[in-house]
Amino acid sequence: MVTRRDFLKGLGIVGISQAMFPIWMPKLAFAQSPSSGNKQVMVVIFQRGGMDGLNTVVPFGEGANYYDRRPTIAIAEPNTTDFSALDLDGFFGLHPSLRPLKEIYDEGKLHIVHAAGSPDPTRSHFDAMEYMERGTPGDKLTSAGWISRHLQTASWQNDSVFRAVGIGAMLPTSLRGEDSALALRSIADFHLEGRQDQLAGIQRTLSGLYAVEASGEMLNAHASSVFGTIDMLQNLSANEYQAAYGAQYPESNFGMGLRQVAQLIKADVGLEIACIDIGGWDTHDEQGGAEGAMAFLLDDMARGLAAFYSDLQDEMARVNVVTMSEFGRTTGENASKGTDHGRASVMFVMGGGATGGITADWRGLHPEALDDGDLAVTTDYRSILSEILVKRLGNNALDTIFPDYTWSDLGIIKPV
Amino acid sequence: MAGVGLGGLELLQASKVHAQTEISPTIHLLRRITWGVRSSDISPVELLGASDYIEYQLAYEAIPDPLVDDFIVQRRVFSMPIDELRLTADDRYEVVHQALLWSRLYRAIFSERQLYEMMVELWTDHLNIPAPDYLADKLTDDRDVVRKHALGNFRDLILASAQSPAMLKYLDNAVSTKEQPNENYARELMELHTLGVDGGYTEQDVAEVARAFTGWTLTDNYYTASFTFSFDQHDTDEKTVLGVRLPAGRGIEDGLQVIDILVNHPSTARFVAKKLCRKFITDFPPEGIIQSTAEAFTSSKGDIKATLRHLFGTPEFWASSGQKFRRPMDFLVAMIRALHPSIRIENPDPLFHYALEPMGHMPFYWFPPNGYPDVAGAWMNTNGLLYRWNSALLISSAGDGYFSGLTLNLDTLIPMVNTVGELVDATTDAFLHHSIASSERDKLLQFVSRAGDPNETVTANLRNSKLPSLVGLVFASPYFQWR
Repeated sequence: MVTRRDFLKGLGIVGISQAMFPIWMPKLAFAQSPSSGNKQVMVVIFQRGGMDGLNTVVPFGEGANYYDRRPTIAIAEPNTTDFSALDLDGFFGLHPSLRPLKEIYDEGKLHIVHAAGSPDPTRSHFDAMEYMERGTPGDKLTSAGWISRHLQTASWQNDSVFRAVGIGAMLPTSLRGEDSALALRSIADFHLEGRQDQLAGIQRTLSGLYAVEASGEMLNAHASSVFGTIDMLQNLSANEYQAAYGAQYPESNFGMGLRQVAQLIKADVGLEIACIDIGGWDTHDEQGGAEGAMAFLLDDMARGLAAFYSDLQDEMARVNVVTMSEFGRTTGENASKGTDHGRASVMFVMGGGATGGITADWRGLHPEALDDGDLAVTTDYRSILSEILVKRLGNNALDTIFPDYTWSDLGIIKPV
Repeated sequence: MAGVGLGGLELLQASKVHAQTEISPTIHLLRRITWGVRSSDISPVELLGASDYIEYQLAYEAIPDPLVDDFIVQRRVFSMPIDELRLTADDRYEVVHQALLWSRLYRAIFSERQLYEMMVELWTDHLNIPAPDYLADKLTDDRDVVRKHALGNFRDLILASAQSPAMLKYLDNAVSTKEQPNENYARELMELHTLGVDGGYTEQDVAEVARAFTGWTLTDNYYTASFTFSFDQHDTDEKTVLGVRLPAGRGIEDGLQVIDILVNHPSTARFVAKKLCRKFITDFPPEGIIQSTAEAFTSSKGDIKATLRHLFGTPEFWASSGQKFRRPMDFLVAMIRALHPSIRIENPDPLFHYALEPMGHMPFYWFPPNGYPDVAGAWMNTNGLLYRWNSALLISSAGDGYFSGLTLNLDTLIPMVNTVGELVDATTDAFLHHSIASSERDKLLQFVSRAGDPNETVTANLRNSKLPSLVGLVFASPYFQWR
């Protein structure tokens, strides 16, 4: 882990005195050690586009209610073809591309929650994502993301710049708020560039220019994060990262992003929450079934998660992975062999205190059970996040994180 | 298939706007209606006066644009018949890809029709279609939809978009049928192109609009495919859209009438007005300016020039200096324009690879249908700042080989001066066109010379060694992030 002394030493290397960092320096120097708290980490994976939960975790037990509506894209019942669903409980089965997750499920470290989603009925991607990420379905005026409110109310306040990290060039809404989270695209490339012999002077001047009030508080805060991050990553990126246990991450953005999250977790830099996106789920046409476009996405997702699980198996007790999407898709397929925007999707909880199994308040796919024609949301996505927040991250301030929401415990996650 | 990525358009306003003093109206105007100030842009504004300069920019067809004309003429992909273009895009993808992306950046940097290019950018986001999946169609959409109508009439723009092969493919209307209408286009047409998400339509309206547009599709041949109305695929039953009854038995008139209903709806006027105010005034425009701009839009029947003319005449516009945080591409282009005419781009690829891509702002590479966001909160983050700084520092040192593909001679921009103080002042004047606080000036003085003495003599050695990074620091500074 990186101690306060390492921080200062890191700064010494680039020859900068504390006096030149009026804003961020005290914050880092007098931070609590990143290892305070219970060191639980939450990894939030957002599947952008609206993931078809019905072909991800297939309710083959519905029979005709499922198969008749999806003449070309349905996933076959278990053990009927080479690419049929992987039976979970005699009613639900995993898409065959999710085979790498089946082992984790069988180990009792993966919990599936079906018919989960946001209670707000919007089928607009952008509204649905905003609502979910703000943690206030139906209310767009909430001024920060749910993770940002968690960070502010958490019982321990780790001041590491790596406390909350969004992998990518831009920060997701959930991480935006008063506390600036870190947008990190590449650990290896995160350093200041320019004339080598002038870098110390450049950094000193920039930090001075970005310390002025006139530049705007938010901009200053982000600038501070840049300097703090550069220092921390100097040590981290020096050695090429080697995944443990031969874990093979897919060479996709998602795989490479997860790999960086694993690197940060192992480096013990104070990471509490990481957000990472996997896109492409808006399968309006040529969605495919057991093979095809969506199978390809599920394969990427499953291989990424399985590699992450394998790489971090010694730490998995403190790593809580959760997946979500803004909505599911229509029960029936459309003319272009795809599906349109629907309601409920499916969520996965892996590692941490996850118990095995599948939970669903399942009302079925017969017409009268549906919500405006599609799978009704019977589990609020916030109940799953709340369970992790309370039982793993030790934050009971749900009133602040999810205002106007009453948590009911699904009991799928063991406390720390 | 439309990919969907980050939402988060408006979450967080920069908590404090960059407070700057003494921004002249000329500089304010140029920072807003152009992609960045070249020193040579200043005297035309002062000569003509602001309102005549705005008129000059609005009448863009009359502005000679020889560099851009040459650029386009030299690349056959911009004038190929569609079948040849689609074939070329399949066979020589990289050639078409590079031409298209480079044309976007090139025009932003070099076109004299700067306000027009700003509006092209706005509509490119408004009617977003990512390039990679439909390269040839994207190229024609850029030319025949966005560029054709960027300063024209809003209805013409929306109609052209509705019949554009790229849009028909991207939002799936080409494969929508009367048996199974695909709602993708119908929804985004209302949510993103016209009414706005809170514009007063229902899920039922989405379904009805989808039915109205059934049959708006493409002719069969992959290479020659163009818009066609297929009566066979059209749902001829009666429909009701936003309370208006579309009688049974009609054809293409259904979709045409829906476009009329939508573009004439008060929600559309507000939605477009808000977007224009956001682009040109401030991230969260006050109600009054949205309303008056919406009225200008309505009373001019969607005339984009008339609407802009109103906007640029308001006190809110003139009082908004420094309130817009430059998006990454705005930042890069403004920097290159500021270095005009001393910078030459011999190979643009490094600008894409080492600047735009890591900052998350490759032209035509936003995958969801809502377009790149235009508020500070979406762009202001650690990753973005670091790459801004690095781009600034490396590009300013391009004269010494720090950025491949560029040549740069700073000596033609910054006069030979005698003292450190004069060097710093000449540099900030050349690129910012406004004074900076003396405390900030001191930091730049100290960068050039540890002692920070403004009267210290600038030797040739000192100048050669420090000027490039000094220029980089001015571009990397908070001052240059806002417009």
